[in-house]
Amino acid sequence: MLDEDRSATTDALFDELADGVYTLAARLLRDRHLAEDVVQETFLAAYRNLVSGDGPIAAWIYRIGYRKAIEAHRRRREEPGDPAVLARSVTRVAASAEHEVVRGELIATLDHAIDELSQPLRVVFVLRDIEGLNTGDTAAALAVSESAVKMRLLRARKELRKNLREYL
Amino acid sequence: MSLSCDQLDSMLPDLFSGDLHAADEEAAAEHLATCNHCRVTVSDLELVGDLGRRHGKLELLPIEAKVRIRALLEES
Repeated sequence: MLDEDRSATTDALFDELADGVYTLAARLLRDRHLAEDVVQETFLAAYRNLVSGDGPIAAWIYRIGYRKAIEAHRRRREEPGDPAVLARSVTRVAASAEHEVVRGELIATLDHAIDELSQPLRVVFVLRDIEGLNTGDTAAALAVSESAVKMRLLRARKELRKNLREYL
Repeated sequence: MSLSCDQLDSMLPDLFSGDLHAADEEAAAEHLATCNHCRVTVSDLELVGDLGRRHGKLELLPIEAKVRIRALLEES
């Protein structure tokens, strides 16, 4: 692919998918600063490896983003005493509390309930029900089977149902 | 064919993904028409998905991060 074609393609992909990858990473890591880093690493990696073709490119970008987020999660786990991480966490909790005052009770409860899901269920719920990816693209992004995506989506909805029972 | 509640439950992954075969879809509809418990369950689980679509928070990458990352992409 020519450099200018590649640049235009990457720009278009960034416009289309940056918020989606950011949402996936922020939901997975529960840390917006780290999620920004994940978006940056994802699109730099995508730019370096971009080839022409008709493959499911959105699923491929999400797959890179998911892997980068998992890597970030593992790196963070290895440095539990990092005061910068703690400070970011405190900031996030404060911001979250402020949001809950402003936003409706149901939305806040839903938000909290999604965060309470285990990571495999949370990622599938975010990609399928929030971001609207289809089963095939979600499976490709996470490198799991389509039946695993379907089962995890059902389990995620069942767990959320328990926490949202008073609103249903 | 009359389905049990357990059989209906095992169909839910395909039901929510729109992948049920026509015959299974018909059997599921037949069961749901007569079983209040399963009807409420399916309705609730569809509603949870709908809540995710309508109220699940799509995070927006801050504009300053977009500008910074775009500049890095142009440099690379």
